[in-house]
Amino acid sequence: MKPAADRFFRIFHQCLLRGASLLVPGQQRAEWQQEWKAELWHVRKACAPSDAVPMKAEEEITAFCLGAFQDAFYLWRGSRKKGARLALMHGSAWCCLFWLAAMLTVSYIVANISAGVRAERHPEHYRVRPNLVLIQDARVMRDWAATIPVERYRSWKRMRQQYFDDFAFYRIQQETLSTSIDGGYVRAVGHVSANLFTLLELSAGSKDTGGDEPRLIVSHKSWIKDFSSNPNLINSMIRVEGRPVRVAGIAPEGAWRLPGTMDVWMLEPDTAIAPGAAGYVVAHLTPSGRSEMWNGRVRITVYDADGTDEDFWGISFAERTQGPWDIYLFTVMLGFLALPALTSVSIADYSFSPHRPSRTRNVIRWAFLFTKIFLVLAIAYFLSLDLTYLTSTEYSPGASCVQFFSSFFICLFGLRWAVLDQQQRCPVCLRRVTHPARVGLASRTFLAWNGTELMCTGGHTMLYVPGLPTSWFGTPRWVYLDSSWKFLFAE
Amino acid sequence: MASEAKLSHTAAMILQAMDAGFVYGFSIMEMTGLPSGTVYPAMRRLESDGMIRSQWEKQSIADAEQRPARKYYKLTAAGNSTLEASRKRYPLLERMIPSEEAKSL
Repeated sequence: MKPAADRFFRIFHQCLLRGASLLVPGQQRAEWQQEWKAELWHVRKACAPSDAVPMKAEEEITAFCLGAFQDAFYLWRGSRKKGARLALMHGSAWCCLFWLAAMLTVSYIVANISAGVRAERHPEHYRVRPNLVLIQDARVMRDWAATIPVERYRSWKRMRQQYFDDFAFYRIQQETLSTSIDGGYVRAVGHVSANLFTLLELSAGSKDTGGDEPRLIVSHKSWIKDFSSNPNLINSMIRVEGRPVRVAGIAPEGAWRLPGTMDVWMLEPDTAIAPGAAGYVVAHLTPSGRSEMWNGRVRITVYDADGTDEDFWGISFAERTQGPWDIYLFTVMLGFLALPALTSVSIADYSFSPHRPSRTRNVIRWAFLFTKIFLVLAIAYFLSLDLTYLTSTEYSPGASCVQFFSSFFICLFGLRWAVLDQQQRCPVCLRRVTHPARVGLASRTFLAWNGTELMCTGGHTMLYVPGLPTSWFGTPRWVYLDSSWKFLFAE
Repeated sequence: MASEAKLSHTAAMILQAMDAGFVYGFSIMEMTGLPSGTVYPAMRRLESDGMIRSQWEKQSIADAEQRPARKYYKLTAAGNSTLEASRKRYPLLERMIPSEEAKSL
């Protein structure tokens, strides 16, 4: 056999043994490798003289080396049966962080699958200009209602205003949409004033088509559903209730967050919007109008020519268009504020003895707590998004409500868990204390040595939890175990 | 003994080979014709059951012969008695691998 091939097979066989050795428990590995290497030397020696067919000899040696995997697997299975490794991992800090990281990964993957969450990643698509309000009749109790007729909008726009420097109008109607190929579909068509998207500063993908026909912006959902994601849709002609319109753009996913759900928006001059049902009026506040804003609202009184007055509310859009990150940050803050009401947040190290863990141990302990809190908060963010967009693919006030509550409760109970878990971890090895045992005298239930003792499986500490917390002894205390306890622990 | 009754034919062959003087894993493989993936795990099991014990040969011997030191296996008293019982259970065992005493006769 050529030296190069011989060298290759030698390395290959060594690699096989080394690979198999990874299955062998650490404390047995060195001896195991030594035995197999010695045996391999003899196998190679035994096979070499009869190398009339060299590949046959290498095959035999390879088969011998492959048997090492079965041997290593046998030892690995034996170590698992003993449960030594599992017992070592059980309740450890690494185990805890592993499960938190696994939960975070799963929630992150699910969040990435959801179309709604994908849209949330681009706040530039849905964030509207600041200081915008929706004007609605004060007599209507429900927020975000369509209450303003187009004639009133036109008259406001003609008049000089103190509180507002620009207005836009939109109204939703169910109308038939038809293309040259398809028949018609009844869709929610928004008849919007031509300046609406400019006023909102929304990037709706609108292009000036140059023709005289009204321009149409198609929602992302409608583009997929009604136009089969046609990439050449822009500039093509379609009909809305028989009227020819030119497609001027496709709105990005989740871009529209104002009241009302629309499939398409038809941009029309103010004079061209036909009178009919009431619509929505969006207005931009002047500095004077902003100074009148209180609690996200501004009260507006309109005096008519005949001397009568009418009240309206200007309701800020800021809340509707703030996106999930702002809601999440708010719920995190609420979670931290509400936490002391739910559990004792003290993680101070009360001990019966003057012994204290080293400074390094303390740093590790705090680092572990902060890592847990970070992971819990990250899980809260992604999991709340998963729950929010579980059924809905688009933003809606209901979806933001789901996000608010889910994020708040996950943050609150996640933080509570992180603190309680920390309180029950050995300050030395960060394992959870286990094997609770009731101690004390049955007859002395009050102000007596009565409680539960939990043991660190590493044999470092014992946690004493008083049965009846009192003003002089209300918190759990640690007992640091000396070397006389060591014989009890297998480790 | 329950453990003796349960000894498999493979394990009995390995014990018989050791009794016949084949004390290394590879030599047992050659003698029995069993693959390495069967022989070594079986020897680990026999060792943990106390039928055999292993020992590393002296490094000086290996150095003198310019080869790596080998681990060899020997039957224990429990292993010997189990092998006796297995021979009754598997009568062909001794004919397949004659023991050292049988060979000397």
